Amino acid sequence: MGLFVAGMNHRTAAVAVREQLALEEDKLREILREVLVEGGMAEAVIVSTCNRVEVYGVAEVPGEARATVFRHLCHQRGLDPAAVDACLYTHVDRDAVSHTFRVAASLDSMMIGEPQILGQVKDAFALAQACEAVGPALHSLFTHAFAVAKKVRTETDVGRYAVSVSFAAVELAKKIFDGLSGRTVLLVGAGKMGELAARHLVEQGAFPIYVANRTWSRALEMARALSGTAVPFDELTTALASADIVITSTGAHEPVIRRDMVAEVLHGRRGRPLFFIDIAVPRNVEESVETLEDVYCYDIDDLKQVVDANLRERRREAQRAETLVEREVGKFLARLADADVIPTIVSLRERLESIRLGEVKKTMARLGDALSSAIVNKILHTPITKLRESSRAGHGRSWTELVHELFGLGRQG
Amino acid sequence: MISSTFFTLAVIGYVCATGLALAYLVQRHDLIHRLGSVATLGGWVCHSLALVIRGVEMGRPPLASLPEAVSVAVWVVVLLEMWAERHYGVRVLGAFVLPVAVMLSMSAVGRPLEGPDIDRALSGAWLWVHIGLALIGIAAFVLNFAGAVMYLLQERALKAKRPGTFYYRLPSLETLDRLTYRTLALGFPFLTTGLLLGALWARRVWGSIFAFDPLALFSFVAWAIYAATLAGRAAAGWHGRRAAYFAIIGFAALVLTLGAGFLLPGRHGS
Repeated sequence: MGLFVAGMNHRTAAVAVREQLALEEDKLREILREVLVEGGMAEAVIVSTCNRVEVYGVAEVPGEARATVFRHLCHQRGLDPAAVDACLYTHVDRDAVSHTFRVAASLDSMMIGEPQILGQVKDAFALAQACEAVGPALHSLFTHAFAVAKKVRTETDVGRYAVSVSFAAVELAKKIFDGLSGRTVLLVGAGKMGELAARHLVEQGAFPIYVANRTWSRALEMARALSGTAVPFDELTTALASADIVITSTGAHEPVIRRDMVAEVLHGRRGRPLFFIDIAVPRNVEESVETLEDVYCYDIDDLKQVVDANLRERRREAQRAETLVEREVGKFLARLADADVIPTIVSLRERLESIRLGEVKKTMARLGDALSSAIVNKILHTPITKLRESSRAGHGRSWTELVHELFGLGRQG
Repeated sequence: MISSTFFTLAVIGYVCATGLALAYLVQRHDLIHRLGSVATLGGWVCHSLALVIRGVEMGRPPLASLPEAVSVAVWVVVLLEMWAERHYGVRVLGAFVLPVAVMLSMSAVGRPLEGPDIDRALSGAWLWVHIGLALIGIAAFVLNFAGAVMYLLQERALKAKRPGTFYYRLPSLETLDRLTYRTLALGFPFLTTGLLLGALWARRVWGSIFAFDPLALFSFVAWAIYAATLAGRAAAGWHGRRAAYFAIIGFAALVLTLGAGFLLPGRHGS
């Protein structure tokens, strides 16, 4: 029986194939039950998201188990299993452990470091547990994987920098302002993108929110949606004076925010920075505005440039995360090997202890407890060391069985 | 002398800490930061021991020669750095402060620590208070300088819209501006009182405030720059880039002051 992972992901299979095999929970539950019965698998977890369909399991013959699982998956959607086969990969033993850890830590994701995958893997694990498809092997594999994922998240910056334009804007605001709570946001225009960026700022504590729009009813509507206040469009300069962050997303063809407007309000701000997020095309903020002191102005291209830099930073961090994951794989395998022999060692000790006690009672009472105990320890030392070594070297099982046979220890759990 | 062994250990600690702090700027690795903190603290503890032992050996505060005084200034700088790093959550602060601390220590290292004593006309509590206060002021201005440099780097990164190492590692502009303001507000009263005591003493003993001492002259130039900055900030709303430029000019004047003390003959010893 060995650990294996088999399946497809965003690299090996086209979205047309992946979307067909991404199944709902009750279907997965059904399949889990079936494959445990007929797939020759002791344990199984199926992860099914839009970017990957994978089975994690313990089986005598991984190839057979994989075939069974994907036959069932394909059957649900009326697909030909032979057509899917080309997209599938299989990892066993060490590679399977490493793959599990990398998936949970979001190093195998399409967008490296995206946080959703960990939740999806946790859900898949919980579902398998509910179906009683999880045994000791997968249980320790997945709990360790969750711990590794957490470690990667806290010790590296792999998921830290924003990879969407609207989050990049929030991040920039945090590099200008000392926290966003209590910062005044002015939203000019009522577009979807602008609303999204404003929402992100509100989530970070920005307040109050003012909304200006050429159509007054739209302004009122948007203000209500954001729990803000609508301001008349021709009083934009007044609103600018109190704003910290201005998001512009109108469809206007001429700049809505002109240099003279900004220069006029700057004096009264006493150096408070003013941050323009201009996501409109054509741009709503006059280009020369950014030459003013304490004014920072990012248009959509600038924001994309920040996102690109963030992606490079993430990839750099991913390298560090990979090293960390490899180290954890080593730790996990060593622990697994230890766990293999420990029950044997324990029962061996118990067995000898009972023999010793019996013999001491019967015939050797005069030798005394301490002496006999010392003898047993001396005798046991070498076999236990050998057993541990053989287990670390990977042939613990045959030795364990030999010891069981030799000393009549009874079957191991 | 035992004290010089500890002084050497302290400098070694600071040099290691500087290297690690600069490395942390490039590679955001927790271990590097932790090692750097340990090296800083280790160096500072050795430094403290060295100063105490030296004080006991000489039977007076270790402030009687310019190299000694600079050494104490470095000690205060490192203490302030460790505090500000935690207080403002600026983990890269060491990369900007420690190099200055190391350069200051080195400037004192080349010379015999005993140095020529500051003019014997000065002695007693008055002298120690004058030197001590001025040193705390100088230490605060080292941080002031570091804050200003960090502000300018972050400001440039944000204006250029090309996020690089500094954009990722440095805190927000507001935080950095506050750090420069606070350290200015902290350092200025100390420097002022320290200089005032020196000036009053000089007038009583030598009959003139400056008494043809280059260090005193330069220090009043530095003081004037800081006074102007503080006034500008408090009254005219100076902030950000302008305040940062003034912090750097003020610090340059302070460095010249120390340079003058080391190189030119005067009452502060050379």
